[in-house]
Amino acid sequence: MKFLTLVLALVFLALPLTASAEKAKTIDELAKMYDSSSCKSCHAEIYAQWEKSHHARSLMGVKGGLMLTPLALKKGQPGATAFSEDDPKKMKISNFPCFKCHLPQAITSAEDSVAVELAEALLAKDSAKVAKLQITCIVCHNEKAIIHKRELGGPEKGVLYSSKEVKAHGDATFKTVKKSAVMKDSVFCGQCHGLGPNLEFDQAFQCANLYGSYLHNYVSGGGTQSCQDCHMKKGDHLIAPNFNDDKQTSELLASALTLNVETLGYEWLRKAGTYIPKIVVSTKITSNAGHRIPDG
Amino acid sequence: MVVTAKTADGKEIGKEERHYHPQATNCRDTKEKYGAQWKTANIRDTSIQPHKPKTETIEFDLPEGVRSADVTVDLFYEAVNPDNKYPIHTITKKVSLDK
Repeated sequence: MKFLTLVLALVFLALPLTASAEKAKTIDELAKMYDSSSCKSCHAEIYAQWEKSHHARSLMGVKGGLMLTPLALKKGQPGATAFSEDDPKKMKISNFPCFKCHLPQAITSAEDSVAVELAEALLAKDSAKVAKLQITCIVCHNEKAIIHKRELGGPEKGVLYSSKEVKAHGDATFKTVKKSAVMKDSVFCGQCHGLGPNLEFDQAFQCANLYGSYLHNYVSGGGTQSCQDCHMKKGDHLIAPNFNDDKQTSELLASALTLNVETLGYEWLRKAGTYIPKIVVSTKITSNAGHRIPDG
Repeated sequence: MVVTAKTADGKEIGKEERHYHPQATNCRDTKEKYGAQWKTANIRDTSIQPHKPKTETIEFDLPEGVRSADVTVDLFYEAVNPDNKYPIHTITKKVSLDK
């Protein structure tokens, strides 16, 4: 009995250590854990597209901003949020609810020490360090690839998921590619591109509503195209828009929105003998996007 | 979208703006919030939705003696702040009261 008790005690002690050992303690460790640079040698074009994408700078704002900085500010300081702490050293993964979509691997694979390091990097405006945290190939092609976990199980270690199966994948870590049931469907993107308020958190907040608009305004109106049909033509992993590229963003918006303008000039008879010269401008904006503009 | 009417010599005689975007508060006060960490839910949505064209009718009264105007409609996208603009379409039309 004493022996059994000792074994059980050791098991209970060892469990958290094992779990802890699998999690990243630093930004560098987390970045390394999800590093996709080995994909580049065989998928150079896709990798180059991804490098310019917002997925590759998911914690950076448009044009180099550090959008998570308000969360890192000290509680009570102007600009601080409900998620801020009075000391950056108290920050935990749960203080960054944005990780749900902007860095999902932090929730599954990072210790709270990563949140502390990130908060300090944000306060120090250390863009280079923050930029190490990305939505890499592994995040979409493993971490987020399965949404029917009760039926299909979670994503397996050493396996990538894609729109088609590759039995022998020439990578030292990811030797197999299995077919994902949803990777070509809008719901795959909808995991992060938002239905509306995130009410599952103890402090509700709202980021993107785009997938909600897709479901309730596009699909409901008879739309049949997927996010991938429009934003990943020929497998493009830039997944435009890229708001750091002004010209490309303008062109994309111009292709999505049509503006029609009609004018009329006349003299309005307000009352007998009183003419008011007037011009009337009628505008009509038509969208062929599958979601509201703007959204994200 | 900004609609501007100017006289032939460039003097502005009218300007109107329309803003198309979802607007959220924190649901604890009535101030619109910007930034996911501040927002709780949309309270108004003027954005451009699929299958729902946005139509506007804008009228300008011309000053006495002015018989024509150049009307310009600028459609652009703003990201993060109003200074970060992405032009989409600009259409200019000359409108005259004379036949």
